[in-house]
Amino acid sequence: MKKQLQITVNGEPRQALVEPYYSLLDTLRDELHLTGTKKGCDEGDCGACTVLLNGKPVCSCLVLAHSAHDAEVTTIEGLANGLELHPVQQAFVERGGLQCGFCTPGLILSTVGFLESGEEPTEENIKHALGGNLCRCTGYTKVIEAVVAASRWNRDSQGTE
Amino acid sequence: MADFQTIGKSHIRVDALEKVTGKATYAGDVYLPGMLMCKLLTSTRSHARIKSIDTSAAEALPGVRCVITGNDYPDAWFGSGALKDRRVMARDEVFYIGEPVAAVAADDEMTALEAVELIKVEYVNIQNVVDPLEAISGRSVDVHPDLEDFEGFGFALGGNNCTMLDADRGDVEQGFKDSDVIVEETYHTQPISQGFLEPMACVADLEANGRLDIYASTQGPYQVRAQLASVLDMPIGNIKVTAMEMGGGFGGKLRLAFEAFPALLAIKTGKPVKLVNTREEAFTLNGPRLETNIYLKTGVTNDGNILAREAHSIFDVGAYLGAGPNAGVGHGLGAYSIPNFKLRSYGVYTNKIYVGSYRASGVADMTFATESHTDVIAHKLGMDPLDFRIKNALSEGDTAVNGSPIPKNGLMETILALKEKMGLPKKLPSTPKEGRGVGISVGEWRSGSGPSTAAISVNEDGTVSLLTGSVDISGSDTSLAQIAAEALGLRLDQVVVAKRNTDMAPFTGPSGGSRIVYSQGRAVQNAAEDAKSKLLDLAADRLGVPAEALECAGGAVYVQDNPPQSMDLGQLARMSLSSRGGPIIGAASLSSLPYAPVFNAQGAEVIVDRETGQVRVTRFVQAQDIGKAINPMGVEGQLEGGAVQGIGRALSEEILIDKKTGEVRNPSLATYLMPLSVDMPEIENILVEVPSADGPFGARAVAESPGFGPPAAIANAIFDAVGVRIKTLPLSAERVLAAIQGRTEDEYTVDAEELRKAESA
Repeated sequence: MKKQLQITVNGEPRQALVEPYYSLLDTLRDELHLTGTKKGCDEGDCGACTVLLNGKPVCSCLVLAHSAHDAEVTTIEGLANGLELHPVQQAFVERGGLQCGFCTPGLILSTVGFLESGEEPTEENIKHALGGNLCRCTGYTKVIEAVVAASRWNRDSQGTE
Repeated sequence: MADFQTIGKSHIRVDALEKVTGKATYAGDVYLPGMLMCKLLTSTRSHARIKSIDTSAAEALPGVRCVITGNDYPDAWFGSGALKDRRVMARDEVFYIGEPVAAVAADDEMTALEAVELIKVEYVNIQNVVDPLEAISGRSVDVHPDLEDFEGFGFALGGNNCTMLDADRGDVEQGFKDSDVIVEETYHTQPISQGFLEPMACVADLEANGRLDIYASTQGPYQVRAQLASVLDMPIGNIKVTAMEMGGGFGGKLRLAFEAFPALLAIKTGKPVKLVNTREEAFTLNGPRLETNIYLKTGVTNDGNILAREAHSIFDVGAYLGAGPNAGVGHGLGAYSIPNFKLRSYGVYTNKIYVGSYRASGVADMTFATESHTDVIAHKLGMDPLDFRIKNALSEGDTAVNGSPIPKNGLMETILALKEKMGLPKKLPSTPKEGRGVGISVGEWRSGSGPSTAAISVNEDGTVSLLTGSVDISGSDTSLAQIAAEALGLRLDQVVVAKRNTDMAPFTGPSGGSRIVYSQGRAVQNAAEDAKSKLLDLAADRLGVPAEALECAGGAVYVQDNPPQSMDLGQLARMSLSSRGGPIIGAASLSSLPYAPVFNAQGAEVIVDRETGQVRVTRFVQAQDIGKAINPMGVEGQLEGGAVQGIGRALSEEILIDKKTGEVRNPSLATYLMPLSVDMPEIENILVEVPSADGPFGARAVAESPGFGPPAAIANAIFDAVGVRIKTLPLSAERVLAAIQGRTEDEYTVDAEELRKAESA
């Protein structure tokens, strides 16, 4: 039986009537028409469906929609401010950290979650943070470069150095 | 060298903003009003006759709109290779576990899944064959006993051997007699997946006039259109295919896959129908690569000249012939000049999922065999592997296997660049616990050709719109836009690349075989030149000077001797609307370009843990002759991604096939192990630029070659590190440890004598 779901997505309160077995991923895509979040495996292996749930990166395919009731969700559609890209998006664009683009929303959200966690952005920590995001096109070299670039902007914008 | 404005400089991809904001629309992102969801019922039997299919319970389920089986399709055959050996959906017989048997369209996905469970199929089992070496032996059941009746059948040994290709030159027996050392070996490569992140997806809709509207995830929209027309018995003109943004293909999405299922359901229900593969189906429904067994025999002189090669390469093609066997002859020699050879390549049917294409199908398998073999020979002769390669390397004026003369190329430059960058030869320090080693490998490919078209129209503001039918799978839209911009003297942001479908853009070949920038790029350059000459003619007329006195650059046409005397492109475009020639469009079309080889030399440094057998790649360097880098950042991205796919093929990736039933046993990304960021070294690239004669601005193909070398480079590095030679992929810890401990795990042997006899019989 479908139940009412209340959820804040990209800062906007949203409601949807969804089945209890519906994942957050299917809810975002099928009910809220936010198709930027991708379904690569639907079993938590590829990371393409990564979104921020209350600020933390999660595989939205592994989250039941109703367990995110009243939660705040950020998807790839919620990062840019109009035409102004989020610094992580900008870094992926400029460093060539994307090819087919299917894993890109997930990689970008994992990166945003990582940089906001305050963890030291060493190469090892970056690789670990992206360890749940498969990319078949890039070979990761330019993805890592993009995250390093984004981490510098992040640091500079926070004035910690 | 000419001073280029746009090409040769790194540019942000033209599709980058769409992709980082989530706006890029993939086939699975298409939601149409009233859309039904499709699910498939697939065969649970390896080889069986279908006695009956009862769909009544499924059809009676509320919410189910239509159920189709193989009998609902016209009596038509198609093929994913040279033979028309397939039906689009099983009719009387199934040939592998996972073959589609029925499809359901329902109001929602859950109902469709429930309906699939309600379909009852009665099978009568038939003897099967899973092992290709058994299948080619003539001692097993024939998968397709009526093979010789298939359209396209050429030459084969019969039985399960559905195609045999050959290439001969010189006197191979005499070559072996004249040799001082003969090395004879068999190599084995594993089944692997293309591993694209976006599972196949398709939405089919019916236009009011009955035309089919297909939104597909495909590298070849025109090929899907043609094959769909044939299996649905419809005119090509009644089908429109829109190639959506594609989440990786790597060859796996070159041809008709399952578009015919939602298509027929849309025709029968009059509603849009969507089918999206699950990840499991991405492994079990869509052709992967299957195993190969490669026999090599090579004769050399003591001073290191290769005199003769005999090769027998056996490609398992599964239930239906696909790509691969061509590589057994085309890439049987590697990058070397060998005067006497006899190359044979066989496609063999077995009862498993049909083989699909993947990044130059078969070439990575051949390269693992030939480049491991090259090292084995060098070591036997006591020669440095790199020097041995240089001694035998192809050079300009030699003859390629296909008979073409080898044109100017950068093979030697790539090998020498690798040597210098890695400081070869060198010995890395090992410890009792860890062996360290370095290995190299050379891959060879040719720049892809085939039908290519482009059209350019000049807009009233001086920008241009570029229309090409090619699907962008590699960043090619950006390179094509750069080529147009360079030829017309524009900035990249003044070129608009149109989104396209088969109604709108002129016919072009599929995006595969590294052909788009080389071949389609040439068409774009020609189309831009065509538009430019019309702009010059119009300006000449208005400025009262001959066209030869004019140049087109910086968004304007100007008099070379007097640049202030100029007209900007917008002005010319607006004038053209009422000119005698009408609005300015440039167009070009070509069917093929000459042979332009591509070479890639790769080197790996590894650490092998002697206690666990685990191999870590600590450094990976590659040098590729790319002719001219149109977009260096894009080229590097292709090289890095290709190399990492090759490292995955070398170390961890393997589709596990049940030896009795042929079923895929690990259809998930948790058990099919693709490289992760944590596993990979930074890839170091060297771009060698020896221009091709015919590619746009000298460009050669890029994307295929980087995937070839890693398995052999790593196997050669393992040998250097711990002294064991592994001839079976993947180079897993278990296999390496067994070799270190002197246990022989899996030895594969191709019976070359039996194949020689079968051919002469």
